Amino acid sequence: MIQLVHVTKQYDRRLALSDVSLEVQKGEFVLLMGPSGAGKSTLLRMLIGAERPDHGQVVVNGKNVGTLKASEIPYLRRKVGTVFQDFQLLVKKSVFENVALPLLVQGVSQTDIKRKVTEALRAVGVEHKREQLPMSLSTGEQQRVCIARAIVNGPVVLLADEPTGNLDPALTGEIIELFKLINARGTTVLVATHDPSVMTQVNRRVVTLVQGSLMPEQRVTL
Amino acid sequence: MMRTLFYLLREAWANIWTNRTTTVVAIFTTAFTLACVGIFLLLYVNLRAAAGWLQEDIKIMVYLDDRAVASTVSELDRQLRADRAVAALHFVSKEQALGEFRTQFPSDSHLLEGLGQNPLPASFVVTLSPPFRSPEAVKRWAERIGGLAGVEKVDYNQDWIDALSTIIRSIELVAIGIGLILSAAAVTIIANTIRLTLFARRHEIAILRLIGATKTFIRVPYLLEGAVLGGLGSACSLFMLNALYELFRHQMRTTGRLRGLEQLTMFFPLSICLLLVGVGIVLGFAGSFVSLRRFDEAKV
Repeated sequence: MIQLVHVTKQYDRRLALSDVSLEVQKGEFVLLMGPSGAGKSTLLRMLIGAERPDHGQVVVNGKNVGTLKASEIPYLRRKVGTVFQDFQLLVKKSVFENVALPLLVQGVSQTDIKRKVTEALRAVGVEHKREQLPMSLSTGEQQRVCIARAIVNGPVVLLADEPTGNLDPALTGEIIELFKLINARGTTVLVATHDPSVMTQVNRRVVTLVQGSLMPEQRVTL
Repeated sequence: MMRTLFYLLREAWANIWTNRTTTVVAIFTTAFTLACVGIFLLLYVNLRAAAGWLQEDIKIMVYLDDRAVASTVSELDRQLRADRAVAALHFVSKEQALGEFRTQFPSDSHLLEGLGQNPLPASFVVTLSPPFRSPEAVKRWAERIGGLAGVEKVDYNQDWIDALSTIIRSIELVAIGIGLILSAAAVTIIANTIRLTLFARRHEIAILRLIGATKTFIRVPYLLEGAVLGGLGSACSLFMLNALYELFRHQMRTTGRLRGLEQLTMFFPLSICLLLVGVGIVLGFAGSFVSLRRFDEAKV
């Protein structure tokens, strides 16, 4: 589902990724660990075509992202859901409108939008907040809305960049459980975090980036 | 599809409403700029009309050979009437020519007395159709007619036609030049307004990009906003111009020396007004497009 082959990325003189090779199978749940500045965000941004590798290949869902035309990137992103630490919600739009946005840009019918948004909101447990504005929600609820938006159009891959960075340990656990649930339904999940406590909550494959290089893998089993 | 369209229209309206102060300022600035274009256009239209009236006054004299028999003259008459370059034609006989000479130059009429016979030739006085009034066309037509049987000479005021043509061309060039410069100014004003909107909504645009919105989907609301700014600016400029025009006519009516001249002036006909609003929409669209291109390149 995701394949990075000898990927290198450099910003000016700073090496963000150095000869990174990684393969994530369909339906896998992978935790991408590493301290701040290790290159996790760069790697995730490459998977959605927001960055291009200087060297190497990035393949997502069978598409070579590095060679995609700018006009093809939006279609790749429709297959890849993204969740961010700062939620990236539109503050002037309701929860329903925020979650409906990925469907709206694809021209989905009104009936299907209602149905899919309701399902996604129910899946993350904030269906009762559908008419509220994001700023009136707690941080945990905002992150749930963000996840609902990422899964509403049934992506094949879900990427999360520090999704628990703004959450307390209890909420972190809830969000991780949500990711596990989404993964159980067949979506490939890649979660990037610097928080070691997340690792203890995820009984899955862990890859670690340090200063742009991938460390030997470990599997955490509790 | 309809929902997407409705969403894009709603977004365009939201942009306009959220930045209403900037929008109103942009509409009025655009209106003033386009009104300047309009003043020159109005001047051009009126001067062009005046030049057209002067061109109508240009008569071409086709003098007939005194030896031409009646059948030759009537054949020439038929040929001239069938000529698509000829808008109007009238025949002046030798006697009529003499009469006109005596009327126009009564003090010089004795000059013809000693000649015994009427030396003035019969002629056709021709007015050419508008497409055949350029100096080159008049010259070509005169050369062609000059070769016909029964024609002695074709005479017209070459200098006057050349001068008039130069004046019309100069007016056109000045109007086009000023129009282009001020249109560019209007595009810049609208582009800056849209740039402010884009900057204010950069966060939202970044989110739209991340969730898979195409360039078109992101751009349409801003292009619509630019078109609305341009269209409204153009409509406002027409109202301003019309008010100025009526004020000018009123001044002419009340100023004794220019009274009556106001009847000869004209405002833009409805078709031109609609065309100008259309031009405003296109300029607004262009302004938005310029800003969106820059925004895409900057990836703000």
